[in-house]
Amino acid sequence: MIMAEFTLPKNSKILKGEKIDVSNGGARPKTFNVYRWSPDDLDEAGEVKNPRIDAITIDLDKCGPMVLDALLYIKNNVDSSLTLRRSCREGICGSCAMNIDGTNTLACTKDIGDVKGDIKVTPLPHMPVVKDLVPDLNHMYAQYASIEPWMKSDTAAPTRERLQSESDSLVLNGSDGHGPAACILCFCCSTSCPSYWWNGDRFMGPAVLLQAYRWIADSRDDATGERLDQLEDPFRLYRCHTIMNCTNTCPKGLNPAKAIAEIKKMMVARH
Amino acid sequence: MSGHKNSEFVAPLKTAKGHGSAHEGAEHWLQQKITALAQIPLVLWLIYSIIGLQGASYAEFTAWMGQPVNAILMIILISSVMLHAKLGAQVVVEDYISCGCLKMAKLIGMKIFFYGMAVACIFSVLKIAFIAGI
Repeated sequence: MIMAEFTLPKNSKILKGEKIDVSNGGARPKTFNVYRWSPDDLDEAGEVKNPRIDAITIDLDKCGPMVLDALLYIKNNVDSSLTLRRSCREGICGSCAMNIDGTNTLACTKDIGDVKGDIKVTPLPHMPVVKDLVPDLNHMYAQYASIEPWMKSDTAAPTRERLQSESDSLVLNGSDGHGPAACILCFCCSTSCPSYWWNGDRFMGPAVLLQAYRWIADSRDDATGERLDQLEDPFRLYRCHTIMNCTNTCPKGLNPAKAIAEIKKMMVARH
Repeated sequence: MSGHKNSEFVAPLKTAKGHGSAHEGAEHWLQQKITALAQIPLVLWLIYSIIGLQGASYAEFTAWMGQPVNAILMIILISSVMLHAKLGAQVVVEDYISCGCLKMAKLIGMKIFFYGMAVACIFSVLKIAFIAGI
């Protein structure tokens, strides 16, 4: 491969799938166009079938108000093989991150009523797909582990908690509760970032950089210089070109772009 | 970069850590911002000067360029533009070229091109300035 790839490989082309209508003439029919792919789904030649989009129409009077409610309704009543991650159903675990109506967000906090017309649901963009709406996040978790996301201090361990002033804690929590510590690691931001799409093997991505900042900015952590050393790299940090998709898409209303800007300012300040 | 091809037996953490941090990039970032800011007054000066030189003869233009302030500002503008272009083109190559060997060739070629352009432009300004000054 010489330049960036502009077309999808043959086996990644998304085909039209099944049309299933289970609304039964209900008052509020709604169609969900759901991405489907399984490594176990083989054609006659024994090759893995291409992904497809199934159009499933349900009656919204029969399910809850959020996109996750609709997907679970489909899984329970239409096709039990539909695969997705979900856990808390209240926007705090980050499991059900997916692309809904063209934007990465959490299915459990995305109101069906916010989307006019059919709702397209696909996995987080530009990640390897494990099955249906489940992306492979191994590399991102490894990148998160690589920033050593835990308290580091050379001072002797106190006999109680390490204390922090209220203003120092606001740096982490944010005065509006939208500070970097409120990140739930759903990776909506990183998978919305074109720079992460092109260079995700080396670029840390907004989610991991937001978390790196969370530890850099922690008044109780004294590994700041070491953490900055590890990030000062043309790819790890500086692939961020302030595209701002991360802040735009964050379902928790956080601002990874600002955290990255703060890291860049610190890099210059210690020059 | 070896990437995560054939990585069945390679721990994801090894791939994520890669070859480690290059411990550079801040300088590049800062230079890009400084050259961008420097070009705001410099380009305004250039536009103002070009408007003032409308209809000027060759002799008038070379005399204008021969003035030390104009020659110096022109050389600073050329240096700033060429450095900014070199830094920007480097980012474009790093972003979009994934083939290792070609990437290195393009990075080196691009640097030679922009530094060469800068030297050629500055030489031209100096030549005009010094001849006009005689």
